[in-house]
Parts: sequence; C-alpha cells; structure tokens
Amino acid sequence: MATRGEFLEKIRREVRRAPGLFAASPAARPDRPTEAAAAARRQMAERWPEALERFRQEFERVNGIFHRVAGLDEVAGVIGDIAREKGARELVAWAPGELGLDLRPSLEPQGVSIAVAPTDGRDDARRRHREAAARAPIGVTGADFALAETGTLILISGAGRPRSTSLLPETHVAVFDRERLLETLEQVGVMLEALHADAERSMSGGVISFITGPSRTADIELTLTRGVHGPKEVHAIFVGTR
Amino acid sequence: MTASSRFGERAAVALKDAYLQEALTIATTKFIGLRKDSFAGFPEGEGLRDQARAIKEATLQKLDHYLEQVADNVERLGGHVHWAATAEEARETILGLCRDRGVKMAVKSKSMATEEIELNEALERAGVTPIETDLGEYIIQLAHEKPSHIIAPAIHKTKGQVADLFSRELKERFAADPEVLTAAARKELRQKFLQADMGITGANFAVADTGTVVLVTNEGNGRMVTSLPRIHVAVMGIEKVIPSMTDLMVFLAILARSATGQKLSVYTTLVRGPRRSGEVDGPEEFHLILMDNGRSRQIAGALREALYCLRCGACLNVCPVYRQIGGHAYGETYPGPIGILLTAMLKGDRAVKDLAHASSLCGACQEVCPVGIDIPRMLIALRHRLDRERIAPLGERLMFRIFGRVLASPALFRLGAALGRLAQRPFVRDGRLRSLPLLFGRWTRSRDLPPLARRTFSERWKDLA
Repeated sequence: MATRGEFLEKIRREVRRAPGLFAASPAARPDRPTEAAAAARRQMAERWPEALERFRQEFERVNGIFHRVAGLDEVAGVIGDIAREKGARELVAWAPGELGLDLRPSLEPQGVSIAVAPTDGRDDARRRHREAAARAPIGVTGADFALAETGTLILISGAGRPRSTSLLPETHVAVFDRERLLETLEQVGVMLEALHADAERSMSGGVISFITGPSRTADIELTLTRGVHGPKEVHAIFVGTR
Repeated sequence: MTASSRFGERAAVALKDAYLQEALTIATTKFIGLRKDSFAGFPEGEGLRDQARAIKEATLQKLDHYLEQVADNVERLGGHVHWAATAEEARETILGLCRDRGVKMAVKSKSMATEEIELNEALERAGVTPIETDLGEYIIQLAHEKPSHIIAPAIHKTKGQVADLFSRELKERFAADPEVLTAAARKELRQKFLQADMGITGANFAVADTGTVVLVTNEGNGRMVTSLPRIHVAVMGIEKVIPSMTDLMVFLAILARSATGQKLSVYTTLVRGPRRSGEVDGPEEFHLILMDNGRSRQIAGALREALYCLRCGACLNVCPVYRQIGGHAYGETYPGPIGILLTAMLKGDRAVKDLAHASSLCGACQEVCPVGIDIPRMLIALRHRLDRERIAPLGERLMFRIFGRVLASPALFRLGAALGRLAQRPFVRDGRLRSLPLLFGRWTRSRDLPPLARRTFSERWKDLA
C-alpha cells in the first residue's frame, strides 16, 4: 500500500514537471466570510418577497408542493391535513428546539403519534428513532436555507436534526421562514464559507443535504418516476409574519 | 482474437441491434434537448463553464497541495484517508476493511471509480455481497451486464426486459410498467440499506478547504448509503479535488445542466466525516480512498486535460459514434469520446489502438463539455503516438504515410487522382462506390464513397478563370 509521503511525492514531482495549460486561478472567495454572509442576509432582508416568489415557482417546477401560512401556530394544521390525506397515524419530526415548534400538543389529540428526534445520541434512543423513521409515512424538518433560483431546501444535520427525517418517509415536509431565503448558489457558497470559517460551527453537522424536489429516476426507458429511494412528495411550508 | 476485431465485432453487433439503435437515438436526443434548453435560459452558463475550466486547471497546478489539504481536513473531521497508487491497492484497502470489520453486505451508490477498479467482482470473491442501489445499476447488476451510459446505465434495456428480470430475481410477477418496477426496487433495496454494514460511494467532488466529499444523485441512494450503514467508504480519483466551497457552487451550477438539463440534481450531499455526537444517523467510520491508478502520469502528460472531466456524460450524447454503437461496444469502463482518453490514461495507449479511431473528430464533444475539454486535439495526438510508437498496425501506418506523401505533392496528387479515376470505373454503381477490392474493401464494408469526379475542381477552375 502506498504511504501518504510516497504518494504525494510522486504527485509533487509531476506537478513540478508540468508547465500547465494556461494561467488559471480558483474562484475568488470572500475575504471575510462572516461579514460577507451578514451582508447577504441584509440584502435578503429587503429582497425576500421576490426570492420567495422565485422559490415557489422553481420548487413547483420540480414537483414540490408549496404552502404559505401566516404564523407558526398554523403549521400543525397544514401538517394535520397532509397526514389525513395520507391516512398517516405516525410521524417523525426534528426535535422541537431545532424545528422551532412542538407538533405534539396539536396533532396527538387528533390521533397522530409523533416521534421526536433525540438530541443526546444514546444508542437505544437512536435505534428506536431510526425504526420510527423507517416506519413513518411523513417526516417533518426545518430548513437552514431555501434557495430560490433552483427551488432547493438545504438542511444541515446534527443533534435533534436527523438526516433520515427527510429521507426515509414517503412524504417530507420542511418548515421555514423568510430568514432562510437565499437567491443564488453564489450566496449559498458565501454561507458555507462562513460556516466553515467559524471554528466551532465548522465541526457540527455530519452532512449538508441539498434537496431539490422529490426523489426521481428515469432509468427505465427514460420514464420519469418519483420516490425511487427518497420521498415521493416534498412539501415546503413558508411561515410568514402577521 | 485481436482487440481490433473484438471492437469491430462489438460495433457491428450494436449496429444490427434494432432496439438498441432506437433506444440510443431516443435517449441521446432527449438528453441533448434537455441540456440545450437548460443552458438556453441561463446566460451566465458560458462564463461559468470558462470559470469551471480555470478552476480545474488551477487545481492541477497545485494538486499536491490540495490533496494534502483535503486529507488533513478529512482527518480533522474524524475520517480516515487511504492512499491507493493502483486499482489493486484501492480494492485491497476496501477488502481489508471488510475483513477487519466483519462486513457481509455492502450497498453502493453509482460510482464510475468503483467500476474502474472492478470492485464488485473482488467483493464477491471475498464473500461480501455488493448491492448496486442506483436503479439503472441495480438492473444491470441483476442482469450481470455492464453500464452502457455514464448517467443512464440501463438505457439499452426495455421495460419488458426489466419486468422479466425483476420477476425472476425477486420471485414475484411484475407488470412491464416503470412505476411498478421502480416501486419494487424501492421496497427491495430499502431493506438492504437498513441491513448493510458498509456503504460504498464514489465522489463527484472533494472540497480541500473543508474536507467535504460531495455526492450528486437524483434517486437519494447516495444519501441512504452515507446515512444508514455503520461504515462509509468513498473511492475517489485524485483529480476530483477542488479548492473551496465557492468553487463547488460553480460546478454545481453547470453539472446537472450538462448531464440531465436539471438546474440541480435532486440531491447534492456534502459529507463531512463520520456521525457527529448527538446525531441519530450517519456512519461510525468514514474512509476516503484517494486513488491514482494512472492519473498522476498525465499531470505532465499528453492527456492532462482529460483530468478536468466531471463524468457528466454530455459528450456521449452528442457523439455520432456513441449514438450509433452505444456504450458496450467500447468494451471499457468509460465509453464515449472522453472514455477513449480515460481508457488510455488508465491502461496506456496500446489499450485504445482501435478506439482511438472511434471518433469523427467533429468537435461536438468539446462544444458541450462543461469544462471545455479539447477531446479532438487529444485524440489526434493519440493517433500520432500510436503511429510513432508503432502500435498501430503496419498496413495502417503505411497507408497513412503514402496518403500523406500524395496529399503534400501537387504532382503526385494529380497523378493519384488520374489513376483513381481510371481504377474506380468497374466499381461505380448508381453513382456510388459500394464495394472495393483489397485493402480498400475494409472501408466499403460498412460505408460507401462518392466516386472521384470526372474533372477535378482545379481543372474546372482553369476554364472558369
């Protein structure tokens, strides 16, 4: 087996030998990512209504189902309707602290049981939650960013925010507000640069998932089919302010 | 049997396969249209393609630095990095992990790098069951075949064939309906995701600055494979490293558009080492295998530009040769115009002495390439080397030498044309040359030619002037 030293030495030798095809440099990165991210957020504080409209259009173009509610207290109602439509009696959700609301008080009286993601990562709790996610027809998450130009939901995994919530159930519902809206991939780049520039945050989140509509394939005779592995349906609930 | 007759035979078989011909035309035409539409509404696309090309070149200019950086950062995040100089070392690393950790079943998301090292065969020999989970790859694996397209591996199969295959393998009768068949695969593979000990993926990119391995899929199998099993192994060619998150956004903006005409693929998964504390999902262990396998030779070599390749498949769809013969006829892991160059990179020039000619040099591949790889230039240089190194057959080398001499001398050219006009007479049928004798017959076996004109252009020009 090659050692790191030998392997890199060989590459170094070849790199020194190569003249290069043309003068080139990587993309220009923000000098101060944290400040660039703050500037992008200020921009979005003005432009969010346009971004939201673009998000809705693009999200629907990739077969997402968009909802808008006036306040957090209306979210459970929308989710309750989706559960009824699917005949779902069971639901998995991000921990209330991560989601921004606790669905249990409003949905459990309607006969929908809710498995809330554990935050401490104990093995038995993990296993139980994984089983619940594999069984539940609906998974409810937040979104760290909602990218308008492509209709993409971006989720950072972590304690209380499992990857499986947006992956195993047939229906994924993501709840977000205007603070999460971004317009361009370039802005996403700035946000991710800022995330990694922050020593503490850069260690959090094992996975960052970009989700652009329901799972799809066209591997059999190019016929578009949804829900091959991931969710068949993706809902986005935008929470406005009254 | 020589390699040459094998490629010729495979191509001939493909040309006679009526279903394949139709499927190839439909698929490639559809992909071309989707790509075109998505760039048409995206004026910044051209600029981004130039930028992506520059990023790839800039990365190669400091590849040693970026590889060290990505390795340091993967380790900082708690992952393990392995250095594989050859395909065999990459395979052995994975087999070693399977042995040490008692792995019985591995789920895989589509990866050309693992095709390249023939990992599935090696796993099976070692008693580990590999399961391909991309729907197209799953079909191919059940059928014991090879992928025929980089991004649509099973385009050569009908839904009827897939229904028969699933019915036989899954012991249940399924209708020839993509919806039904996809649901069957979902159910079957879901169990495998939950049972498997190891997830194996390739990598579309690795971001040096953050130690992030990036996977792009539409089905979500990439997410399953990196979230559910207790071990995740990513196999990556060294050329896939890019400097920063800012660079990643440039590539994401053009990759899916080039491959399938989507603005983004459904899932882009940024993997940052093993499960963090408090997380429910994610592997206990993350391994990144950085693989050379012939790549580093080309950093200062004639195929350097082929190291830019993103594996999007756009050049396959537009290639007039690929569109006729499909991926299997190439007989290699990487088909299409870029595949010829990648095969030469991995296996040496000798391996492509026939494939080097499986291109009309029309330039369509370069035109659609998201990073502007000059494939025709490298193919011509490759043909030169085959001639110079005397790898090409003697007859072919002699023929081209004579042809070159004749074309370079006006007198010889005129003489040749005059002789040709005389010699062709017995063979002209309905204004075409359809069958020629001797060596020339190899051309007319699969093509015809217009006969030489009675009067040449320069003769007519004298009259007109």
